[in-house]
Amino acid sequence: MHHRLIPSKFLKLALLVPALAATFIIAACSPQHPQSTFGYAGPVARDQGDLFLFIFWIAVFVFIVVEGAIIYAAIRYRRRDDDKIPKQVHGNTKLEITWTVVPSIVIAIIAVPTIIGIWEQQRGAPTDQGDILEVEAIGHRWWFEFRYPNQEVVTANEMHVPVGRPVNVKLASQDVIHSFWVPKLAGKVDMVPLNDNLVWFIAEEPGIYDGQCAEFCGIAHAHMRFRVIAHPEEDFQNWVAGMRTPPVAFEPGSPEQQGQTLFATHCKTCHTDDSWRQDAYSLELQQQDSRWATWLADIENSRIVSAPNMTNYSQRNFLGSGIKENSRENLIRWITDPNDIKIGTSMQAHAAVYQERADNKINLSQQEVENIADYLLALKPGDISQLTAPVITGGTPEERGEQLFISIGCNACHSLDAETTIVGPSLVGIADRAGTRTSLSAQDYMRQSINDPGAFLVEGFTNSMVVPKLPPDQVDDLIAYISTLK
Amino acid sequence: MRFPRIFPRPKSEYGIWSWISTVDHKRIGTLYAVTSFLWFLVGGIEALIMRVQLSQADSTLIDPELFNQLFTMHGTTMVFLVVMPLSAAFFNWLVPLQIGARDVAFPRLNALSYWIFLFGSLFLNFSWFVGDAPNGGWFGYAPNSHVAFNPTHGMTYWVIGLNILGIASIAAGLNFIVTILNMRAPGMTLTKMPVFTWMTFVTSVLIVLALPVLTVALIQLQVDRLYGTHFYNTAAGGDPVLWQHVFWLFGHPEVYILILPAMGIVSEILPVFSRKPLFGYTFLVFAGVAIGFMGWFVWSHHMFTVGLGPAANSAFAISTMAIAIPTGIKIFNWIGTMWGGSIRFTTAMLFAISFIAMFTIGGLSGVMHASVPTDAQQQDTYFVVAHFHYVLFGGAIMAIFGGIYFWWPKATGYMLSEKLGVTNWLLMLIGFNLQFAPQHWLGLDGMPRRIFTYAENMGWENTNMYASAGGFIMALGVLFFIINVIYSARKRVPAGDDPWDGRTLEWSISSPPPHYNFEKIPNVAHRDDWWFTKHPELIAEYYHDEHAGELRAPSGAQFDDDDFAEDEHAEAHASDHHDDDDHGHGIHLPDMSYYPFILAIGLTIIGAGLMTYIPVIIVGVVILLWGLLGWSMEPVNDPAPEGEAHGH
Repeated sequence: MHHRLIPSKFLKLALLVPALAATFIIAACSPQHPQSTFGYAGPVARDQGDLFLFIFWIAVFVFIVVEGAIIYAAIRYRRRDDDKIPKQVHGNTKLEITWTVVPSIVIAIIAVPTIIGIWEQQRGAPTDQGDILEVEAIGHRWWFEFRYPNQEVVTANEMHVPVGRPVNVKLASQDVIHSFWVPKLAGKVDMVPLNDNLVWFIAEEPGIYDGQCAEFCGIAHAHMRFRVIAHPEEDFQNWVAGMRTPPVAFEPGSPEQQGQTLFATHCKTCHTDDSWRQDAYSLELQQQDSRWATWLADIENSRIVSAPNMTNYSQRNFLGSGIKENSRENLIRWITDPNDIKIGTSMQAHAAVYQERADNKINLSQQEVENIADYLLALKPGDISQLTAPVITGGTPEERGEQLFISIGCNACHSLDAETTIVGPSLVGIADRAGTRTSLSAQDYMRQSINDPGAFLVEGFTNSMVVPKLPPDQVDDLIAYISTLK
Repeated sequence: MRFPRIFPRPKSEYGIWSWISTVDHKRIGTLYAVTSFLWFLVGGIEALIMRVQLSQADSTLIDPELFNQLFTMHGTTMVFLVVMPLSAAFFNWLVPLQIGARDVAFPRLNALSYWIFLFGSLFLNFSWFVGDAPNGGWFGYAPNSHVAFNPTHGMTYWVIGLNILGIASIAAGLNFIVTILNMRAPGMTLTKMPVFTWMTFVTSVLIVLALPVLTVALIQLQVDRLYGTHFYNTAAGGDPVLWQHVFWLFGHPEVYILILPAMGIVSEILPVFSRKPLFGYTFLVFAGVAIGFMGWFVWSHHMFTVGLGPAANSAFAISTMAIAIPTGIKIFNWIGTMWGGSIRFTTAMLFAISFIAMFTIGGLSGVMHASVPTDAQQQDTYFVVAHFHYVLFGGAIMAIFGGIYFWWPKATGYMLSEKLGVTNWLLMLIGFNLQFAPQHWLGLDGMPRRIFTYAENMGWENTNMYASAGGFIMALGVLFFIINVIYSARKRVPAGDDPWDGRTLEWSISSPPPHYNFEKIPNVAHRDDWWFTKHPELIAEYYHDEHAGELRAPSGAQFDDDDFAEDEHAEAHASDHHDDDDHGHGIHLPDMSYYPFILAIGLTIIGAGLMTYIPVIIVGVVILLWGLLGWSMEPVNDPAPEGEAHGH
């Protein structure tokens, strides 16, 4: 039998450990941590953080008492005499009752703000701090879809919100469980299939807030990120209007226009790129459902999967659900071989254009990939100041008007079929109706609608018309053509 | 009636077949310990690979699929193949020795538990070799574990492997409940039972009640995956939240299944090296029972972000916080045990003290995420990873290592080196804290769990690098343990029967104990009976406080042997046939048997058949029935050969 006293230097070393840990924590505290739960930018995260700190300081106190007692006992009562047997105490009822009751009181002190916090957050967004913005967030493997039912806007991976206004986010999922977490704005709430949840937050400062899926959801879980972009109210409204605005038409034969064709052939079944259209919102909802159903019906061989909406894609800051900067170079890499950036995408696993090749890279030439990238990076709301009307000569006013109608893209929104509404009203029979709309004559009404689309709005339509400034003679040509539509 | 024997009953006490056919609780304990220690190394290597991957941002060392497999198998391994069976090794070795019994109640069932555990663990890990290791997390959340989202075979291995392991656990749990209730030496009332045995009892009750819950969930997932049912198939209306309820209804008691044995181990080590009785034995035991009971009412704290509503969240927040109270009682009572003592810092004691210190940290962070609003930021982040490693490594593993150092001399008869032991302890403690303390911060800094990589601008790189370094320091600590085992096995410093001046019955017999444990079943008069046998002058002092100087007569808690005449143990207890001078001669212990091994093979083949080709199941069933029938018709002891008969 050998006795061995551990010199007290070991105890000192043991003391170093928590000290070391504390040093790391302090050293790690620098301000640029995009997902720090202490970088509060809204009341929900702040309340959660404050409650954490409240419990933390109580815990620090308990920690010091308990660890202090352990270290004190270890040093004070170390064996000095091998023959001495300490008093054989069996216990002390009073002491034991004390250390049952005191922790119970501490627990009660923590429980009160906890329960208050639970019910506060469950109440939903406050109604007295401006109009509540309603958003629906849907988790997909492995990206986030954001729907704005009141604005009829749908987008992906970047959620735009106004600063200072409460946002109610309805959380849902079709496939597996995901979790919606923007640490600086609010703690996470899960997106559970068949069990919708709600989270609310207010972004107090403009900025880009990092979010990430926090529930393990499969192979690309680590790469399922998103951003909340908080704008001043006016910028937010502009963003919404932009999402309802068609892009500028491309020059025939331009890389963008070729990319558009390629996109329509290989990508568009899954990626909608034109949700600025009039009924696009409900259509996109139906399409996502049918994509999901198609995939589910034949999981192994489906060539269709749920996919992010690409409307106004060039406005995105990141690609691949928030994992890489949305640059041309990255986009080309992504389109060529998504695996290179994000392993396990459904796109590469299912889309025909990837499945056609043994190495699962895209079955298109480098030029074609670049064209698609150029097309996507040109997808932005049309801007009037950049539009110029082509000069058209010869022919009758009606013929010139028809060419103009197509070349500046009026037909993108106004259908030539009485039954179809694209974005704006159908123009069939406009000559008969125009005179009845306002006090203006038919000619003058049409002239006003072209020069100043917001002056009079047909019921059920918003002003999202993009039209270049046209010289009066071209306006006349257009009116001449439109008047022929029967 | 006798089942036809294909081979003779094993008799030899040496060689591999003696291990395969053993029914001796000590040998089975050793098998458990060795097997689960090997799995501990496997699980540790899995962790180290993940730590290397995470030490840098955007690391491409391993791909996400492998990472998912690694964390799934690391968790599954450490819970089911390491901490549970390592605890079982202690149950096996110690419970009969601590209660003065010659074996467990059902020795062959005990062997069966081990073999099923071994084959189940091999089955589970076989998946690595076919490249389809489980990848849906140790929690197997539906519908991510559903075949639609997880078409490889990994989760099927997981489901069937865990169900095989569950049978082993339940059988062992039943065995120890019966053993502890029925086989205590005369005089050992429940309130005189060593705390480790008490915690084994509570743990066994939890195992018997909790594992079937997991079995139900796993079978549902299994038929979902294999036969297209819809229990958790959301596309057909199955509810993924149901899986979480069922899994955590098992999963939280499971946490106490993992930690209560560790608490029992520490409760044995602290009094011995403080030379003082456990402070507040009754409070401590009741706190353990309370934890076991309350452990059933806290499961939804794993689901605070699922959206159960404020009423459920409030209720589970309060019940979760309340469980901190009995846990706190234990911590204070352990400190009370050290207080006023004469503390000797052996390796075992250092591990035990570290257990209290580290477990306290895990408990405090536990209260933090018991608070639902706070948990919303912590759930599924590295904060939680840090929390439960403080509980399960800083807690359970530290205590288990302490227990190994403490009882190693008893089990082997020789000492482990204290010098290497202290190095082992120090490296593990420093490495552990370096790895997991920074992870609290990582979680608060927004790093989710279960991500195979992260971007470089997140601010997580340095902290992850420290954590990974810590992991390797821990691994070095474990390496020192292995070196210690080899070194000490060569040195063979004899331990003697009672190297630590122990307090409980196991220290009253030789080291290593004879196969019959106790030549004469002891009569127990006191808690820490062996200590007071050595120091009768201290008895009055111990009882003085409690009963105002009045000495209580030891009460008898022994069952009547005659009631158990049919039981195989009645024979083991028939110790009054000393017909010659040979120690232990005349003590009847159950003969060895191959049948538990055979039955376990049959069961595993059935599992394999479920995964592959249905007719394979028939082969498994035939082997299983062979084992079962052979077992049930095999007498506990073959009739003694001619000439050796003794009048039994």
